[in-house]
Amino acid sequence: MVNASLFLFLSVSKDGGFIHWLENHLLICPFKKLTSLDCPGCGLQRSLVALLKGDVAASLKFYPATLPILILLVFTLIHLKFDFKSGALIIKGMYIFATAIIIINYIYKVYHQQLF
Amino acid sequence: MSEEQEGQVPNTPQPEQPINQPFNQGNTFPPQGGGYGFGGMQQALPNATAVLILGILSIVTCCCFYGLLSLVLAIIAIILAKKDKAQYFSNAGMYTEGSYKNLNAGRVCAIIGLVFSIIIIIACIVFVSIFGFGMLSDQDAMREWIEQMQNR
Repeated sequence: MVNASLFLFLSVSKDGGFIHWLENHLLICPFKKLTSLDCPGCGLQRSLVALLKGDVAASLKFYPATLPILILLVFTLIHLKFDFKSGALIIKGMYIFATAIIIINYIYKVYHQQLF
Repeated sequence: MSEEQEGQVPNTPQPEQPINQPFNQGNTFPPQGGGYGFGGMQQALPNATAVLILGILSIVTCCCFYGLLSLVLAIIAIILAKKDKAQYFSNAGMYTEGSYKNLNAGRVCAIIGLVFSIIIIIACIVFVSIFGFGMLSDQDAMREWIEQMQNR
């Protein structure tokens, strides 16, 4: 318990800490390196870091599909543990929803020339 | 539980019985019941959870490494799902309905992920074949080209 709170404190502290380290060690997208254009997954890491900081609006702005995907993953784990009756159907629906958001987000980016 | 199941996999397609019949539980039980700890109780399909998780991860990793990671995950999920589906239909009474639903959901997710990653791989190939590596690594040239396209 003490360890967990210490970890949380370290991760929200401004300099140093886990989030700061993460912010400076994002993986480089190979697609972006190759074409200098964003791929449909670009923004996921920035959005995750923003979410870890507690900034939901920035997270949605960087990559709107992060929150649905996280909810989907958490729901899947809960479903596997407790086995809801129509859980599989809900997972399918949420999955298609997340995919649709990713595609719409990318089309929007292409349309508004935000690819760089 | 799953280890016991996997031990039984080679036994399940029995030669004298047609595979695609769901409701013949009575005679499809393997004669040697020693491997099943629950003796007639329904079990979850061995790979249902794995297929579901892999299928969902295939969309999360849709763009990692030109979509190849997603492609691999999706293909593994689809192969596992195919295997488990055959197993489910060979003796339907043995496995729980819920795990079969999970399996199907995972399969749908994996197919969507597969299509998505294939689109991305094709996009990569098209980009490289149109522009070539030289121009692609030069960001200013790309930007110029796009501005030209807009002004046309």
